[in-house]
Amino acid sequence: MNPQPWWRTLGHRALVLVAVVYCLFPVYFMLVQSLKTAREDVFGNPLIVTNPTLENFAELFEPSGEPRGFVGRVLQRSYPFFVWLENTLVVFTGTLALTLGASVAAAYALGRLRPPGFRWLRRVIFATYVIPQTILFVPLFRVVHTLGLDDNLLALVVIYPTMALPFCVWMLSAYFEHLPREIEEAALIEGAGRIQAFVRIILPLSRPVLVAAGVFTLGTIASDFTLASVFLLSDINKTVPAGLGSMEVALDELLAVAGINLMAIPVVLISAVFARDYVRGLTAAMLEGA
Amino acid sequence: MTPAIAARTRRQREIRVAYLLLSPTLLLLLAVLGYPLAWEIWASFTNFSPLQEGATRFVGLTNYRQQLADPQFWQAATVTIVYAAVTSVAKLGLGLGFALLLARPFRGRALVFLAIFLPWAYPASVSVIGWFWTLNPPLSTAYAPLMGQLKFAVDGVLGDGAWAFISVTLFNIWRGSSFVGVLLLAGINAIPPELFEYALLDSKSACQRFCAVTLPLLKPFLALGVFLTLTSAFTDLANVWMLTAGRIVFPVIGTHAYWLAVEGGRFGLASALSLTLVPVLLGALLGLFRLFDRPDPGGA
Repeated sequence: MNPQPWWRTLGHRALVLVAVVYCLFPVYFMLVQSLKTAREDVFGNPLIVTNPTLENFAELFEPSGEPRGFVGRVLQRSYPFFVWLENTLVVFTGTLALTLGASVAAAYALGRLRPPGFRWLRRVIFATYVIPQTILFVPLFRVVHTLGLDDNLLALVVIYPTMALPFCVWMLSAYFEHLPREIEEAALIEGAGRIQAFVRIILPLSRPVLVAAGVFTLGTIASDFTLASVFLLSDINKTVPAGLGSMEVALDELLAVAGINLMAIPVVLISAVFARDYVRGLTAAMLEGA
Repeated sequence: MTPAIAARTRRQREIRVAYLLLSPTLLLLLAVLGYPLAWEIWASFTNFSPLQEGATRFVGLTNYRQQLADPQFWQAATVTIVYAAVTSVAKLGLGLGFALLLARPFRGRALVFLAIFLPWAYPASVSVIGWFWTLNPPLSTAYAPLMGQLKFAVDGVLGDGAWAFISVTLFNIWRGSSFVGVLLLAGINAIPPELFEYALLDSKSACQRFCAVTLPLLKPFLALGVFLTLTSAFTDLANVWMLTAGRIVFPVIGTHAYWLAVEGGRFGLASALSLTLVPVLLGALLGLFRLFDRPDPGGA
């Protein structure tokens, strides 16, 4: 490759810098606020923290049930944050397992077994994205009630997969469809069953696409605030987003920001670990077009 | 058994297994989206309301007609379409920029990639809370006066609630451009490098190469990106709506439907209203399918 002229390298670097600042600044800002004392929050420079403290984080984990103190004459209530974290873990793990299981099964059916009309079926599944979510939760309440899942974490485990399934099925089935038949047939000839051939050959091959589906699912379900607040009513059944939404922001702004960071850090770390495979998986799934 | 019959029974078994494997996905979609959608369509043709006494009546197209005659509906529809268009274009533009910045190797590319990936990976359900309360601070923090002045300035020009609405728009663009950028980077990686080399021989300017090679090949990814982020645009709006218990007074079709349903108990009207978006989105989706199902030269 011919060397770049200096002004091009410089321009590229400048643009990269702008992009990085644009992407990181809001996250940086939230991190800085969560490390502040109430005093510094009001009087300090909003962009930096001079005396970083973890007291906001510690306060989140204080035993709940007792009022924490007063702001003026207003009672500050305490929050069962640790329970919220546990609930979020349960909901996210359950949703991920259900979404990946269901979409791999459906994608294998569409991409490898190809029942009549499979292309149309795949399109219909993807087309569910056009259904307007706005007031869908009203009839959804009836479904949840019929299933006996009122104010139950399992309600979210049932609802969340539908936010990510259409794209995951689309991606995985496109990938499965374009794997050459021979690789499976070789295993079948050697006496392996279809299931064995799938587990031993197709699944390992599609690791990046599975990772891509998983990361997409995590990012999608972690963006929901509305459904969690609608379906989880009692305080001890809330997930972190629903719980933070129920906080008195005017009184507990620093606490809420600390909670945001505590929820975000694990999710971001998991996504970052798989980021490379995420891109690789998207590329692999899209190479042929679906 | 002749081989032909054996092959056919095997195929029939395969088809049965296929439907069995599809059943969890289809059941979930039917229960969570199919039934509620059917109920919503039914409700849109009735005067159903939990507040009303007496039986629910079938009213035909009255709800739709009432919407189309309502100037508020057209205002909300305009705002919705402008919101969708502005966020989509911004996300595509920024996302394409990010993808092109990352397309060639340079020192520290992995770190820059992670930075660009971060806004999408940061869970939106909580970042939207931080974002919204930062731009609309409820109490006196160090940055509150500045934000308050901005809010008054913007609301003074554009009307009540405009600043809150703009903060959601900015949030959606911030997060969506990250998603589109990563998606388009995956798309650029899928372009065979030979094509770039041919293009290098063929034309001198980078601009020409971009328009002749990169852009056409990225088209399906651009369409997919727009479509997937369009749904998130409405999710973000709903999230803030929920978070602030309706503090956003800027009329959008979604929030307008919320008011009618939750406050007024007029589910029939609200259902009709929220269904008006479906034809628009369906049209966009058909366009996407056309981009993806190019005639396959392999004839698969």
